[in-house]
Amino acid sequence: MTTHQKSPSPSTAEGMGLFERLLSLWVALAIVIGVLLGQFAPAVPDALSRFEYAQVSIPVAILIWAMIFPMMAQIDFTAILGVRREPKGLIITTTVNWLIKPFSMFAIAWFFLTVVFQPLIPEDLASQYLAGAILLGAAPCTAMVFVWSYLTRGDAAYTLVQVSLNDLIMLFAFAPIVVFLLDVSNIQVPWDTVALSVLLYIVIPLAAGVVTRRTLIARHGSEWYDNVFLKRIGPITPAGLILTLVLLFAFQGEVILQAPLHIVLIAVPLIIQTFFIFFIAYGWAKAWKVPHRVAAPGAMIGASNFFELAVAAAISLFGLQSGAALATVVGVLVEVPLMLALVRIANNTRHHFPDVRTASD
Amino acid sequence: MTIEVTPRAREWLRRKGGVATVRLSPRHGCCGGRADIAVAEARPPDWPERYVRLELEGVTLHVDSTLVDQQLTVDVEGFLGLGHLFVAGASPTRANE
Repeated sequence: MTTHQKSPSPSTAEGMGLFERLLSLWVALAIVIGVLLGQFAPAVPDALSRFEYAQVSIPVAILIWAMIFPMMAQIDFTAILGVRREPKGLIITTTVNWLIKPFSMFAIAWFFLTVVFQPLIPEDLASQYLAGAILLGAAPCTAMVFVWSYLTRGDAAYTLVQVSLNDLIMLFAFAPIVVFLLDVSNIQVPWDTVALSVLLYIVIPLAAGVVTRRTLIARHGSEWYDNVFLKRIGPITPAGLILTLVLLFAFQGEVILQAPLHIVLIAVPLIIQTFFIFFIAYGWAKAWKVPHRVAAPGAMIGASNFFELAVAAAISLFGLQSGAALATVVGVLVEVPLMLALVRIANNTRHHFPDVRTASD
Repeated sequence: MTIEVTPRAREWLRRKGGVATVRLSPRHGCCGGRADIAVAEARPPDWPERYVRLELEGVTLHVDSTLVDQQLTVDVEGFLGLGHLFVAGASPTRANE
């Protein structure tokens, strides 16, 4: 069934294959393999680190583009023409994603990493982890939200609009928000470094995605593009993600071996932030009587992160061996289990929203 | 009616040639996973044999067979002279491979 009025919510197994359901396990395995590689075959990361141009690691840049380009290639910016259709949903999503989420992430991460966990995390590392959390907070989900929308029986057309609007805002808002919050945290990052990061990992993949989409659709048609081209390049993103993590942890091995508890400590504020943002958007939607088919994907997009961008920006700004990069990876580690918990909450609270209809209606 | 086209979408479509394709467009998640989104485009399909052809008040629709009986509505939206079709009433779905 396709209509949101009558179909039951699909099971997790229907929306997500084994790979994505067990993403946390693969991330954990990538960490182990990366650490082992760094410990027992240090020549590999050493050799890879030599391929640099203008302080940008070429192997890392290739892997990051491999992660990000397939997502950018599937964005249909004509959907932005529907921006007036569900104004309440878009107001909630845009406000939560860009005026609340980055700042609540900063506040929660700052409180836990530099105050609550002060005895457990050295000050310089806490700053690095905070920087990673800031990067996660400034990058709302751009692709996985379609799967969350599917699992919560969200409105397909609305999900398309909110993703295209979100991506457009991200183009302009990501860098200023990151620079501002890093500055507030006394973490100095030159503007040109941030600008280069945005150019490399947002503007170039986005432009390449738009050009590829337009060119290939003009040449082969949109059905071929969707069903052949995107299907072929789709698996590149998770593969690029796992390979990036292996490489990252080949460099991070020492940090993990010395302080494995840090992964748990970083996860605490990230988990709290995920639930906090979800309940703000979801509760606001409930108060405004927004239909569940809009409220659920509207709340999911902010709760979920565009962690490929966060990982890329962390590596670009602070380096592969940085605490910031480690913090963004913890975001990946907890993403799927957390979002599946939110999917369950959304599906179990559907009856509190105004558009509930059952098959017997 | 198995699928509806709003009067304004019909009018808009007539100006664009009177033919539309309603199909599923896959979106891949960054962690894997996929959801298929119902989309409508003002053009004939690349492979007409895969679609159900419907004639609705001067407009020809080629509809993916899984979308025919879903009580969907094809509408048009836009601003500044730009417009595009969209499918109202659809949740993301997952077509069989």
